[in-house]
Amino acid sequence: MKTNIFLQYLIFTLLLIGSYSCQKDFLNIEPTNEVPAETTWQDGPLAEAFVTGIYNQYLGVGGFTEEMLASFSDEAVFTHTGRNINTINEGSASPSNVGFVPASYEWQNMFNGIRAANLTLEKLASPLIDTALANRLKGEAHFLRAFFYQQLLRYYGGVPLITKTYGLDEDYSSTRNTYEECVNFVVADCDTAAWLINDKEMAKGRTNLLAALALKSRILLYAASDLHYLPVATTKFPELGSHPKPELFGYAGGNRAERWQRAKQAAQVALDLGPIYKAGYKLNLATPVSAENGKLNYMSIAMGGYSKAEGMDETAGDEIIWGRYYNLNVNTGAGVSIGQYNGPNGYHNWAGNTPIGIFVDDFEMNDGTAFSWSNATHKAAPYKNRDPRFYATVLYDGADWKPRDLVSGNVDPANQIQTGKYDLIQGGSKITFNGLDTRSSSIEDWNGSRTGYYMRKFIDPDPKIAEANTKQLIPWPFIRYTEVVFNFIEASLELGEEAPARTWLNRIRFRSGMPEIPATETGAALKNRYRNEKELK
Amino acid sequence: MIELEPMASSMDEVVVVGYGTQKKVTLTGAVADVKGSELAKTPTLNLTNSLAGRLPGITALNGSGEPGYDGSTIRIRGTNSLGNSSALIVIDGVPDREGGMERLNPNDIESMSVLKDASAAIYGSRAANGVILITTKRGKSGKPMLSYTFNQGWAQPTVIPKLTDAVEYGTLRNELAIYESSVPPAQWKTAYDALINTGTYTNPDNNAVINSPTGFFPEDMQKYRDGSDPWGHPNTDWFDATFKNWSPQSRHYVQLSGGSENVKYLGSIGYQNQDAYYKNSATGYKQYDLRLNLDAKINKYMSLQLGIAGREEFRAFPTDGAGEIFRMLMRGKPNEPAIWPNGMPGRDIEYGQNPVVITTNQTGYDNDKRDYIQTTGRLEILIPGVEGLKLTGTAAVDKYFKNQKRFETPWYLYSWDKTSYEADGVTPKLTKELRSPFTDPRLNQWTENTLNINLSGLLNYDKTFGAHSVNFLAGVQRETEDYEGFNAFRRYFLSNAIDVMSVGGDLEKNNGGGSYRRARLSYFGRVGYNYEQKYLFEFLWRYDGSYIFPPNKRFGFFPGVTAGWRISEEKFFKDNVNFVNNLKIRGSWGQMGAEPYFGGVLAEYQFISSYPFTNYVLSDAVVQALYEARVANQDFTWEIGTNTNIGLDAAFLNNRLSVELDYFYNQRDRALIAETGLVPQSSGISNKLPPTNKGKMSNRGGEFKISWSDNVGEVTYSLGINGGYAKNKVLYSSEPAGVPEWQRSTGKPYGTSGYTIVAYQYDGVFKNQADIDANTIDYSALTNNLRPGDMKLKDYNQDGKITGDDMVALDKTRDPLFTGGFNGSLSYRNFDFSFMFQGATGGMLFFGTESGDIGNYLQYSFDNRWTVDNESSVDPRITSRNNQYYTDFAKAGRNTYFLRSSNYLRLKNVELGYAVNMPKSLREVISNVRVFANGQNIFTWDKMKLWDPEATSTNGQYYPQSRIFNVGATVTF
Repeated sequence: MKTNIFLQYLIFTLLLIGSYSCQKDFLNIEPTNEVPAETTWQDGPLAEAFVTGIYNQYLGVGGFTEEMLASFSDEAVFTHTGRNINTINEGSASPSNVGFVPASYEWQNMFNGIRAANLTLEKLASPLIDTALANRLKGEAHFLRAFFYQQLLRYYGGVPLITKTYGLDEDYSSTRNTYEECVNFVVADCDTAAWLINDKEMAKGRTNLLAALALKSRILLYAASDLHYLPVATTKFPELGSHPKPELFGYAGGNRAERWQRAKQAAQVALDLGPIYKAGYKLNLATPVSAENGKLNYMSIAMGGYSKAEGMDETAGDEIIWGRYYNLNVNTGAGVSIGQYNGPNGYHNWAGNTPIGIFVDDFEMNDGTAFSWSNATHKAAPYKNRDPRFYATVLYDGADWKPRDLVSGNVDPANQIQTGKYDLIQGGSKITFNGLDTRSSSIEDWNGSRTGYYMRKFIDPDPKIAEANTKQLIPWPFIRYTEVVFNFIEASLELGEEAPARTWLNRIRFRSGMPEIPATETGAALKNRYRNEKELK
Repeated sequence: MIELEPMASSMDEVVVVGYGTQKKVTLTGAVADVKGSELAKTPTLNLTNSLAGRLPGITALNGSGEPGYDGSTIRIRGTNSLGNSSALIVIDGVPDREGGMERLNPNDIESMSVLKDASAAIYGSRAANGVILITTKRGKSGKPMLSYTFNQGWAQPTVIPKLTDAVEYGTLRNELAIYESSVPPAQWKTAYDALINTGTYTNPDNNAVINSPTGFFPEDMQKYRDGSDPWGHPNTDWFDATFKNWSPQSRHYVQLSGGSENVKYLGSIGYQNQDAYYKNSATGYKQYDLRLNLDAKINKYMSLQLGIAGREEFRAFPTDGAGEIFRMLMRGKPNEPAIWPNGMPGRDIEYGQNPVVITTNQTGYDNDKRDYIQTTGRLEILIPGVEGLKLTGTAAVDKYFKNQKRFETPWYLYSWDKTSYEADGVTPKLTKELRSPFTDPRLNQWTENTLNINLSGLLNYDKTFGAHSVNFLAGVQRETEDYEGFNAFRRYFLSNAIDVMSVGGDLEKNNGGGSYRRARLSYFGRVGYNYEQKYLFEFLWRYDGSYIFPPNKRFGFFPGVTAGWRISEEKFFKDNVNFVNNLKIRGSWGQMGAEPYFGGVLAEYQFISSYPFTNYVLSDAVVQALYEARVANQDFTWEIGTNTNIGLDAAFLNNRLSVELDYFYNQRDRALIAETGLVPQSSGISNKLPPTNKGKMSNRGGEFKISWSDNVGEVTYSLGINGGYAKNKVLYSSEPAGVPEWQRSTGKPYGTSGYTIVAYQYDGVFKNQADIDANTIDYSALTNNLRPGDMKLKDYNQDGKITGDDMVALDKTRDPLFTGGFNGSLSYRNFDFSFMFQGATGGMLFFGTESGDIGNYLQYSFDNRWTVDNESSVDPRITSRNNQYYTDFAKAGRNTYFLRSSNYLRLKNVELGYAVNMPKSLREVISNVRVFANGQNIFTWDKMKLWDPEATSTNGQYYPQSRIFNVGATVTF
């Protein structure tokens, strides 16, 4: 009897448990803040959002990061130690320490971007969304893939060309393709992108047809250059000759003139489309503007139409073919903090990337002659009568800059950069005063410039923006129209077509208030002039 | 039967185990337990800080003393997994309650048990790291008893890092000026003497001049030394300027309990208030808690338990976090004023951060309120007709609200240009500067709420048939958690006086939020059998399902067996051995699970292919975008912890001496790791890898606990010593391709901090140029210019070069291998006294401060560094931040010179109490008064000698642990 009741209760309990089990479904939970992959590719706006995401995830904030590429080269040094940049500058990179790699060149980041582009192309191969939209998105994916590969190619040489999306537990091994194969791949992607993107009114921040053509022009120009022509390159870098696979880094042979021709044609196509796409800024001048206007024009171009400072021309934003734009609702650090990262310590900024002397010296005098320390007049007043672009690019000792009292109290009524030591009379006796923007400053000396110069070019000069506590919106130009112009000039020069090259070089100089290049200047001299122009850009 | 000693372990003593209680004598698992009254002896306001030294095998490391975030990291038998090693915490039978155990009032706690071995298997999927069971107090029948306890404590940091003063710092800066110049080492001595004496040195080789750094010329140094110029040449101790001597904390507690045969009740109300070390502190912690536990016997068959606990935790902070504050305290230069002689705040160190100001409400506030309402209802039905059969239904409904409000206001500091004076010509003229990194007030608000519902049904059968006792339990449990969060932001408020979201400016306003649901379903049970309480056997199991895993791998089965033999109950033993009162050997084996954590975050939805949101700026507007965050894995399941334990319990000499010994071996298989080592980055998925069941590690060790208690005349005393040792070893982790064997984690220990430490091997210092000339190892990957005072490193792979390949995976981690406690208590007449020493050994901690032109140096560096006058072969030359290879983490900064033993022994806890003799006339009203004084972390012996040895901070930039002195009284009515 007892056992019987026991059994009854046991059965009751088991039933109870059973009723719980029926609710097993309740263990199926989907994330509320995510969209199922399947849904994404069946829905136009969602598929578009995925492609939009590629721009954000793998291009970061563009080049406006704290450590900038200039500091990896002979243009600037990075003030703060411990960033692993000197590993690159000193040439001591090794497999166990590759040095600092900027996010927009970083191997993993780029291949993640390539995967996202490949995924888009895979999912939209037989689109379940509107065909026109699908084509445009595929075009963007082709462009982005080309851009990522182009970044990799610049930093590492030939890399594995991957066009599939890997799953788990696959064979992931791959071999690096040659430089030439990579170039061809990027060109093909640019062509496809240009073909698929018909929309003339692409949103600012997305790529567009002109950007695809400009990117093609860039990669073809690099491909044609000495740097990637092994017979020449190996004479400059003997290590390249002993590399087991030099074809990762350039062409062993082929017709160089043909490559230059291709580069020129690609540039020409993009150049010609410029007016249709309203690209470019004041490139139609026949005479130089005044020095003051030249400086303003140049500043306006760097500001990309996003500075409220006096004299800035919003239409200069047309220079940017494809850029990264910012919004203070979502951008708070990198991207919008270039002023804080690079501005003078006397303004409580960090002086990260600081121009070095040899770069500063490359700015011509405003009459078009070269600057030289051996010229007594130049030496006596090195910052006088220079190329107007100098004043828009570099902060130097005595340069007029923003009011300091916005953050530092009334320590500098003149609002000028102080990178020197000054003899002052104080209480009747002479004292040595260390400038506020030096490493002996009374303000945050550990952040002072080691070169005596500060970057100015991309810092919003709007006096209302005190970089230490206010952010700026200056966009990062991934590709500028002027680059296409330069590509055209360079390819033309290499092909010996100096007349069109000279015309365009002068146009670039005129808008900045610089005089025409003397007609007598040809050949190597003209090439050097071109190189100097491009460096300063 | 044995005659029981009054103070010794009683035959009837019970221990709370999973879904029930067991007599201690028949317990077969490795279970440590402690009474709530023991925990209440510690004057800390965070329960986790009361555990160290009291429970063998439990490590509690207190990493910070910051009010509101001063808890200890608890590990049961060390680190057991490559993923998550946190124990499961069960409060009144309900696992994983929001808020955990930290803020429970110790006076409310009846007992705490820790299941260290397979006895935890009944908690299945979350039990592999051990389980802590906390049971709150319930009423006892009798007249209503009211008690009130008051505590007033004072806290101070256990250690304030010792930093250099202005003269010492100036000396170091002069040295740096030489090291950073082009002056060759051969001239360093001359140059140093020149700078110190004249402030300038000219290199005869090239006539290059170097000067003392600004503010550190000989005349400046003289002023720091003699204090003659407090405005221009102060000598600041930033900690001293920011801290007060003692920070008060108080605790009030009222408890009412009583009841009849049928209804029992216990209610309590608590309040605590804790101040921070800062003067005018914005930081503080306040808590209000209440608890009501009711027990009702409804009839012969039915009884009901109800428990309601409510708590508000109020954490107040300034707008800069402790990390920022302590970064600035560690950096603050001793020659800069924290406060001007006229009382105005001095300049910031950086970003407007002057610790004297940013620790106060001058920068706004960050108030974090968390409210908990936790209810537990339990109905027990004794099934009529079947003796020993019981059905229990439990429902726990927990609600949690969080409301955080962070209002940042611009602040001002004062600077002096050292040249301007007030009209009187002598008083320096200060300039007021806006120094906050923003210019307008801004408000952030977050709200969160969760609802946890935990329902369970239990069927229990307990019966003794003659010599055979059986126990049977089967149950089912269903858990859900629903979360919703919302936040908003506005700036451009009209004034600092307005902190109301709705009236903020319209520009850049923002909001966000999210929600999720979590669900688990479990079946579990236990079968126990014993013969004459002599042969003990138990089988436990759980069949667990969680939403975390893919549908086909969702459920896991977790079995455990434990067995014991009480030798002392055998006739042959009883007849022959009379000084042994109890002798039991026991063993256990079980398999338990653990859920996947990556970087401390529960890895949810890893089998679902879906895209989270991001955003991008298009045509000046922010648009929503999607991205791929992971590659879904359809094929992963629970980690399996196979835990084996053997133990021995013994009592001797009329139970005066008792001994518990345990040895364990835990193996964790199928540990959830990402196979990063096998997937190259070119795959495009190397950082989107889902968890896979590939990791493997082992952990072995043991515990002991020896207690002695006796009385001598009127003195009753007890002494106890306990300790636990655990050492783990990675058996498989995803090693990156091409990593040399000696840098692999495999075979090495794994720390709570989540990694095996890989470091260069320090090998002394280049004393002088002769030492460098004798060097044959190539340092060119680190520096092309070795100089005296540079650090020597071991060429581990003996290839003649120091490269990254010379780094070695170390045999120790931050976690101690051994932790233990020694405690004693004594009572004599009205006095009672107790103490506890606690220690830990076998852990290591890196140290490296942000020193140089950017901030102050440790006194240790000053006292021991290599200099031209002290050619040390042990301590290197000072560096500015990380500007030398041996301090640069990108180079060889991670080396064993900067690794210190964190061994320590501390007088953790002392309490002295006195029961006041009440005059007869008062006894009617007040039955009992006890006054007491106690303290926490009173004295420490350690090897680190930089900051507190329990710290996990490597740079001293953290809120230090507390030493607390406390007095209090309990009045019982």
